[in-house]
Amino acid sequence: MRVQTQFLVAAACASLLGSSAAGALLGSSAALAAGGPAAGKTVKIGVIADVTGGAGAYGTSQKNAYDLAAEDLAAGRIDAGGAKIVFDVEDSATDPAQVVNLTQKFSGDGTALLIGPTLSSEAKKADPVAVRAGLTILATSNTAQGITSLGPCVFRDSLAEEQVVPEAVAKVVARWKVKTAAIIYGDDDQFTKSDFDIFKAALDARHVTIVDVETFHKKDVDFKSQLTKIGDKKPDLLVLGALQEEGVKIVAQAKQLGLNVHAIGGNGLNSPKFIELAGPAATGVVVGAAYYSGNAYAGNREFVARYKRKFGTPPDQFAAQAYAAAQIAARAVKEGATTSEQFCSAFKRLPLVQTVLGPVAFAPSRDVRAASAILQVQSGAFAFFK
Amino acid sequence: MILQQCANGIFLGAVYALFAIGYTLVFGVLDILNLAHAAIFMAAAFIALWLAGTGVTLPLAILAAIAFAGLLGVLLDRVAFAPLRRRNAGTLVPLISSIGAAIIIQGVFRGLFGPDERAFPAGALAARQFHLGTLTVGALDLVILATALGLMLGLSYVLRSTALGRNIRAVADDRVAAALLGIDLERTIALTFFIASALGGAAGILIGLQYNSVSTDMGGRIELKGLAIIVLGGMGSVTGAVIGAFILGLVETLAVAWVGSSYRDAIAFGVMFVLLVVRPSGLLGKRALRAA
Repeated sequence: MRVQTQFLVAAACASLLGSSAAGALLGSSAALAAGGPAAGKTVKIGVIADVTGGAGAYGTSQKNAYDLAAEDLAAGRIDAGGAKIVFDVEDSATDPAQVVNLTQKFSGDGTALLIGPTLSSEAKKADPVAVRAGLTILATSNTAQGITSLGPCVFRDSLAEEQVVPEAVAKVVARWKVKTAAIIYGDDDQFTKSDFDIFKAALDARHVTIVDVETFHKKDVDFKSQLTKIGDKKPDLLVLGALQEEGVKIVAQAKQLGLNVHAIGGNGLNSPKFIELAGPAATGVVVGAAYYSGNAYAGNREFVARYKRKFGTPPDQFAAQAYAAAQIAARAVKEGATTSEQFCSAFKRLPLVQTVLGPVAFAPSRDVRAASAILQVQSGAFAFFK
Repeated sequence: MILQQCANGIFLGAVYALFAIGYTLVFGVLDILNLAHAAIFMAAAFIALWLAGTGVTLPLAILAAIAFAGLLGVLLDRVAFAPLRRRNAGTLVPLISSIGAAIIIQGVFRGLFGPDERAFPAGALAARQFHLGTLTVGALDLVILATALGLMLGLSYVLRSTALGRNIRAVADDRVAAALLGIDLERTIALTFFIASALGGAAGILIGLQYNSVSTDMGGRIELKGLAIIVLGGMGSVTGAVIGAFILGLVETLAVAWVGSSYRDAIAFGVMFVLLVVRPSGLLGKRALRAA
């Protein structure tokens, strides 16, 4: 709730700022339609994504999004003020050393903006290299704490878990009158471990008693012993600090064991794949997320349709956040940014940008301000949780 | 609850056993660790998934995929092991070439099917549950348990009582002597690879069905545990591998029930370590296979 209010205040401020800025720019807006200050120039954007390897599913979504964005830029569906934007998408193969190598490559080849890498752990290693080279970075999927403080020009358009989870927990607790909860999480992964901390804090804040905490490791496939233990404690709510791969198996095995309990997870479960793989076992699971493909934001429906047509699957959050990064970058280019320095200052000045994630802007901390989406799996698809 | 946990452990052990049987067979015969076993395990699951997706009935898809896995094993032997065997390359070099083969197979399947996790088509699974008092048991759990035990008994029978089994045991015992006795060495080894890989393939398919997930890295999840199990069982002993698998499954499950999930792997491998200190040759050392 608090996040929502903050966002609304920010949105109001930004739109006020925006209208005054628009006033100042009014004289040139006629010229902008024909071509912005960067018209005719070519801007190179380097993208580092884990297209293959362990995080390949995420990186593939990201790569797809840039392919689509490049098409949409060429067709004029994304407006870059007459400038040409070229995405150089490189596969870092879920290998941190490769991420650093690619970051070095982009640091000296005329790249004006670096988008990526896919994982927070990779960003912590590679971003300092780009920061030293004076490269502006836009992260689209790094949700760990402290990413934007890696450098004065490190931005991200992905909502962090701590922005989303408390709101989701509050809704669930109120709706289902939750008194007790059990948590199962991956204790060997930065993301799922911090999911545990964030969920625990949110549950504590709502005076929910945590009756059991169980852990698992990456790539585990059998969770029955943990779930049997949890079932014995009869909690009102099962909390999953899990990524999609393990989350699918946890909900399926909970059903197999006859554990009929409300369940909630974080961003890791916000993927059409989760529903596809878990099937009916996913029904009812609530997910606090940064993106909902059914949202009515301007351009989102077209984005979903075109993505589906081109790649055969609906876009997930990784694709949407990547596509939004392209939209944000195009907006900065439209306002004249062609170098790394100009991207940095343009991002700081940007008014609300309409993206497939909804209207977004950057906070002074360079984190994104955007609305979250609390979703529930209902008859084989995500829908708003009411 | 403890009854349910024991059931969980036995079914988990059956999953491990399925994987370990073929793994240990190749070791027993050739004294080499075939690290591509996990890749064949994965490949068979993908082939079954792909066939099931094209409309082939599930039992037929499974049988075809098992045959594919067996043939892939024979091909693996021809390409990765046979040339080295002819040059008497020892045991370390084949180990490395099997890692290479594993990477190639994984790469090909990632290229064909993508890095995403896949699931069998809805309705393909025996999702039925049985309730016995407080105990909940899945139909597929029972199928896997029966298959693991059946394969173990069947393989023991083949090794003990058939001409092929005698040949395999002879080759396992002393390759040169077996060749002198007129046993077709290459044919016997090829058949061993076929059987071991077909078993590995069957394991991949059943495990893919059980967890309803097939991905190119699914072999990696079970590979290390499989290795630990066949060492614990006694390298090369099929029965030992099955016993080792049930021990690991039960220890893992009970570690979660009694101690805590964070210590599961540490406890499981700790127990194995203690067992190996007591019996360095494993529960049923290599002799047991030959005597069998």
